Amino acid sequence: MGDIKLTADTLKPVPVWRRFLVPGIILILLILVPFFASEYVVYVAVLAIIYAMLAGSYDLTTGYAGPLTFCHGAFYGLGAYASALLTIKASFPFWIAFPISGILVFIFAFIIGYPALKLKGHYFAVTTFFFGYFVYLVLLNSAKLTGGPMGLRGIQAPESFFGFNFATLQGSYYLILFFAVLFLGFLYFLVNSGFGRMLVAIRENEDLAEATGINTALFKVLAFSLGAAIAGMTGSLFAHFFRLLHPTTFAWMTSEMIVIMALVGGLGTLIGPIIGAFIVTFILEIMRFAPEYRYIIWSLALIIILLIEPAGLMGIVRRLQRRKR
Amino acid sequence: MLLQQIINGIIIGSSYALIALGLNLIWSITDIADFAQGGIYVIAAYVAYYVVTAAKLPFILGWLCAIVIGGGLAYLIERFLYRRWTGKSRIQLLCAIALFFLMANLAILLFTPKAKIFPAYVQGAFNVGGFTVSFQRVVVLLVSAALFVVVFLFIMKTRMGKAIRAASQDRLVAQVVGINIHTVNSTVFVLGGMLSATAAVLISPLYAVFPAMGDLPLLKSLVVVILGGFGSVAGVLVGGLGLGLAESLGSVYISSAYQHGFAFFVLILVLMFFPKGLFGRV
Amino acid sequence: MSVLLEVINLRKEFGGVVAVNDNNFVVEEGSRIGIIGPNGAGKTTTFNMICGAFKPTAGKILFQGKEIQGQRPHKISMLGIGRTFQNVRAFGSLSVYEHVLTGILAHDLKLVPTKEQRERVEMILEMTNLVKFRNTTVKDLTIALQRKIELATALGTNPKLLLLDENMAGLTYVEINETLELLRKVNKEMGMTLIVVEHIMKVIMELCEKIIVLNYGKKIAEGNPQEVANNKEVIEAYLGEESQYA
Repeated sequence: MGDIKLTADTLKPVPVWRRFLVPGIILILLILVPFFASEYVVYVAVLAIIYAMLAGSYDLTTGYAGPLTFCHGAFYGLGAYASALLTIKASFPFWIAFPISGILVFIFAFIIGYPALKLKGHYFAVTTFFFGYFVYLVLLNSAKLTGGPMGLRGIQAPESFFGFNFATLQGSYYLILFFAVLFLGFLYFLVNSGFGRMLVAIRENEDLAEATGINTALFKVLAFSLGAAIAGMTGSLFAHFFRLLHPTTFAWMTSEMIVIMALVGGLGTLIGPIIGAFIVTFILEIMRFAPEYRYIIWSLALIIILLIEPAGLMGIVRRLQRRKR
Repeated sequence: MLLQQIINGIIIGSSYALIALGLNLIWSITDIADFAQGGIYVIAAYVAYYVVTAAKLPFILGWLCAIVIGGGLAYLIERFLYRRWTGKSRIQLLCAIALFFLMANLAILLFTPKAKIFPAYVQGAFNVGGFTVSFQRVVVLLVSAALFVVVFLFIMKTRMGKAIRAASQDRLVAQVVGINIHTVNSTVFVLGGMLSATAAVLISPLYAVFPAMGDLPLLKSLVVVILGGFGSVAGVLVGGLGLGLAESLGSVYISSAYQHGFAFFVLILVLMFFPKGLFGRV
Repeated sequence: MSVLLEVINLRKEFGGVVAVNDNNFVVEEGSRIGIIGPNGAGKTTTFNMICGAFKPTAGKILFQGKEIQGQRPHKISMLGIGRTFQNVRAFGSLSVYEHVLTGILAHDLKLVPTKEQRERVEMILEMTNLVKFRNTTVKDLTIALQRKIELATALGTNPKLLLLDENMAGLTYVEINETLELLRKVNKEMGMTLIVVEHIMKVIMELCEKIIVLNYGKKIAEGNPQEVANNKEVIEAYLGEESQYA
């Protein structure tokens, strides 16, 4: 598969404080949001944080390991419904359903991924696209189980823990923020570890990676499944925050928006997709008065990004940095 | 009842086959799974719809407008977008999906999500062995069959057709022997656009016209290409009809809701054992 | 000396084309072997089969007595066979340092590279004279340097057997001598067995103890450099038959 770098290059290591400057600022702002902003803003912030987790986990699979997938929304949805159903139908507490939804999605993605990742080129992408659509169809048609087009209601908020009440808006907001920091921090550690290096090697030149002793099939499936699992757990958080699920939330358009967010920020940089998620969510909210235009603008934006700078925002940043030297 | 289902299956299958034919040619020459054809499918259907209902022109003109716009869009997309990224297939794929996304949403914006009823071109029906078959469906079958024959002859007998076959086997060598790859690419895309447009126009009177109408046919047709094989007109025809029949019969005897998922299972099963598709080419 | 690699009746067919035609040869531990032959003789295909990129149509490949044919490339690399590719392959976006480190980590994966691993990278960079490029992005370097980086990365995986597929194409005289020195060094000091496919006669003649000559997939000669250079069939393979009218 011919390829250009959709991802930004590695450069001389950036000093630690500089690396964490932007994320640090974002984090501080996010912590302050419930104190200074209206309920509406809190809801938007939650959405942005959720998308940051989705875009970040997507980056693990596609930005770092390489294969383009179009079913991230489906993993998000599977986790959401799994968690919701475990609490509603099987009376599991949230704190059990939450990790289990992650494990379930991991296993699912592993089973699907193992044969699928053997596919080359666009075959794999088409398969993931169809998989995403298939999950949507299942969710839509299993009315007895999922409520189908009527949606799934009555999901409970997470139970209190150590005296923290998560039924309130503030409580659940901080819960989600906490897990976002946890998951994204974990991803950061992972992509900069030896494991991450193996993924990058696979992305850069799969044949060479294989010849150098890297079990490319295994690593790709692991990256795929881990990314899926995090998306699944994000879905669980979503379900117990908004307490209402509908299959359209997890249809292919959501997968496409995740791709766009990751590309806007810059695949393969982790911080890029996170920033991309915030930017896109923010702009989507601004345009909430003209819903039909929102997706049109973003699909156009994607094409323009591909034309001008496929490595996204981080790509532009790196280009500027190079010029400065 | 069975005959009804078989006929429905063949009809929907022929629409898959038509779209898949175009996708097949495009994919085998340019390595692009052209999702944008799904968008062209939708736009073409609306064009024909408005020509026939608003402008009150005959169906033939509706079809002609649709294929002109379909072919034209495909040409422009190839010429000004895909061509910029020769060899960068990930970007091309992302662009194709973005275009599909764009066109589907444009349809929602311009024409509202509400389904529109496309009038049948031919009224009336006839009886076969106790079952009623509408002339409409016969027309669809005949036109599809005719088109397949025409495209087949084009690919086999004409000079451009030979060039296309050569390019689909080895792009580089084809250029070395003097084939203008740009002309071939443009031809193949225009052809694909026209085929998708035709499929849309044929199917619209039988099922309604709505912005999401392209989603499933596109996906199914992509599956048909993967199953039916690259550079194989016969394979696409067999694959398309086969899938249509399987879905139609499956919807009755197994489950109506999951007929769409059937294609997915077939895809997974086949790819597990034949990672390069049934007729094997990446 | 014990036998490290044994190729038995190795055959590879691509459809109707026989690329490797029932070849047999043996490689002893610590030796330096050259494989030569006109283009299309089956040299790279043979390498590909040894390294697991292709499955042989027939025949066996024994490494340290165990059968390895048909296994996946990464497993074969882990067993101790390293290789470089004919058309150079690299992890373009990485720096030279990271490139070599990746090779080392691949064989001994740690979440955080250890001090020993980092020291090993330094050692290899020094050995291959790449220290001044340590922070340069690989894809920004010349092909010749990329070949060196490929070699360095392969060395990092500490192979018992190193397969070099035209690794020195495009190098200058000085660079070739440098690489030859390096190869002799790893062969003597680390006991690394070398199999080299080359078109550059200087390399073959100066480095290799034994040469195997392939033509049209078949082995047509085997022996030390002198023997092979004077072998009539070899000369014919490269230059054509002696003309009756000469």
